[in-house]
Amino acid sequence: MTISWFQAAILGIFACLCSNSCMAGQAVGNYTIGRPLVGGLVCGIVLGNMPLGIACGVAMQLVYIALVTPGGTVSADVRAISYIGIPLAMVAISAQGLNPLGGSAADLAKSVGTLVGTVGTVLYYAVATMNLVWQSFGWKDVHKGKLNKLTAVNFGWPWISHALFSFLPTMFLTYYGATAVTALRNALPMDGIAMKTLFTVGGMLPCVGIAILLRQIIGHPIDFVPFLVGFTLAASLHLNLVSVTVISLLFAVIFYEVEMARDAGNGSGKGPVAEGPANNDDEEDI
Amino acid sequence: MMQNTSNSNQLDKKTLTKSFHRWFWGALTCFSQEHMQTFGYMASMLPILKKLYPKHDDQVKAIQAYTAFFNTNPMLGTVIVGITASMEQARANGQDIDGETINDMRAGLMGPIAGIGDSLIDGTLIPILLGISLGMSSGGSPVGAIFYIVAWVLIAYFGQRFLYFRGYKFGDQAVSFLVGKQGAAIRHAIGIVGSMVVGGVLASWVNVTTSLKLYGSNGKVFLNLQDKLDSIYPGILTVAVTFFCWWLMTKKHVSAIWTMLILVVISLIGVLLGFFNPGLSY
Repeated sequence: MTISWFQAAILGIFACLCSNSCMAGQAVGNYTIGRPLVGGLVCGIVLGNMPLGIACGVAMQLVYIALVTPGGTVSADVRAISYIGIPLAMVAISAQGLNPLGGSAADLAKSVGTLVGTVGTVLYYAVATMNLVWQSFGWKDVHKGKLNKLTAVNFGWPWISHALFSFLPTMFLTYYGATAVTALRNALPMDGIAMKTLFTVGGMLPCVGIAILLRQIIGHPIDFVPFLVGFTLAASLHLNLVSVTVISLLFAVIFYEVEMARDAGNGSGKGPVAEGPANNDDEEDI
Repeated sequence: MMQNTSNSNQLDKKTLTKSFHRWFWGALTCFSQEHMQTFGYMASMLPILKKLYPKHDDQVKAIQAYTAFFNTNPMLGTVIVGITASMEQARANGQDIDGETINDMRAGLMGPIAGIGDSLIDGTLIPILLGISLGMSSGGSPVGAIFYIVAWVLIAYFGQRFLYFRGYKFGDQAVSFLVGKQGAAIRHAIGIVGSMVVGGVLASWVNVTTSLKLYGSNGKVFLNLQDKLDSIYPGILTVAVTFFCWWLMTKKHVSAIWTMLILVVISLIGVLLGFFNPGLSY
């Protein structure tokens, strides 16, 4: 598989649309076009191998299922994952002759994609920094009272940041990277230490993504219990995700009622009576 | 908030929709680490100010309130933009509201809304949607990806539109239930759903296994470690690696990138010892 200039340019345009400051808006850009699952679909269509693109997208999506950007700090860049990482992973998988739908192809995709996505954070900060220039135009416009120019500041000028730090890097990296990835096949034998390590890491990387999300939602080690219950429902009882969600709603309702009941008890001053059973429930559930 | 105003300066639906669309498409287009969503906010308030203040000088004066730093969860944060639209309308009609009041409201809400939005949308809704879509896309089928695009875009667009107009209609009453005790209880309940779903996602899609086997003198396997581990608790290695990553990042304050590099080292050692083997060859 090779990537032509034309294909690389299309990938470059999608890169402009999806990553902060996403030109297609946050909901459509970052949260739709930027998701690796959707990126896999787009890359599959652009590169003419949709099953392989989707398979890479699914694999990459697992690593970044919980891509939260608290306070605008990122540990990975969606444009690099979806529109540089996935195309290169597709080329690598084709070059290695792996079954595109197999587990080893997925592990290779995760390794390649995560490496590119992590390095790609440079692009994120480059765009954000260059936008400071347009914002300085904006402040001048506000002080001079030229309010109509704010529209260009918000919707027009940032395209230049993206042309420089999204379009061009994506185009060049996918075009020249494809050749490099293919050459890598001869340098690194599949049963060697390097490739075995790469595949093993690929299998573990989603754990980091899940852990990043857990860091958001788990304050106490005791909060691991619902997480483990969800894991057990799927791993041991083989329930699918919708079923797990439905069961979790029951626990959510119980916890909500318990907490509201406890607050009501405290508020009206009859603490011990109302509080006792509430606390017991709490401990049993946890 | 603006029910007892008898002035003619009312915002119509067309102006509000325009303002909403500017936020939906442009909340973060001119993002920088320094000002984040400030310019997206000003751009979406522009149609409102133009409608409310016929005189150019008044528009320039009014926009000063929105030059302050702003950043929140852009989905749920739509409600804040709607609230400011109603406050701005009240201010234009001579009610006792100044730029500072508007800014206090924005500054007070952007933190809680960011916290709830990140855990509700990024931490719960999107993992559920993606988990379902991933299942539909296994085997290289585009169905899951298309399902995600359609489902999410519809939820995002109409959900945010609803939030914007709710914010405009009810002012800061629209979100009063999100702060305080009820808000804490809701957040806790959402956290339970999020944790369980994420546990399910991990079990459904990630599988860390060991290839370690010990052979007896007759050449037969007398210990297959993975089988033993599965008989204790299915997926125990996957949970262990995830817990280890969480512990590194939360308790040891290791960054995500360093955590990944530590996994590379562990994998290398594991491969050298024969603990891990993806079992590949040409």
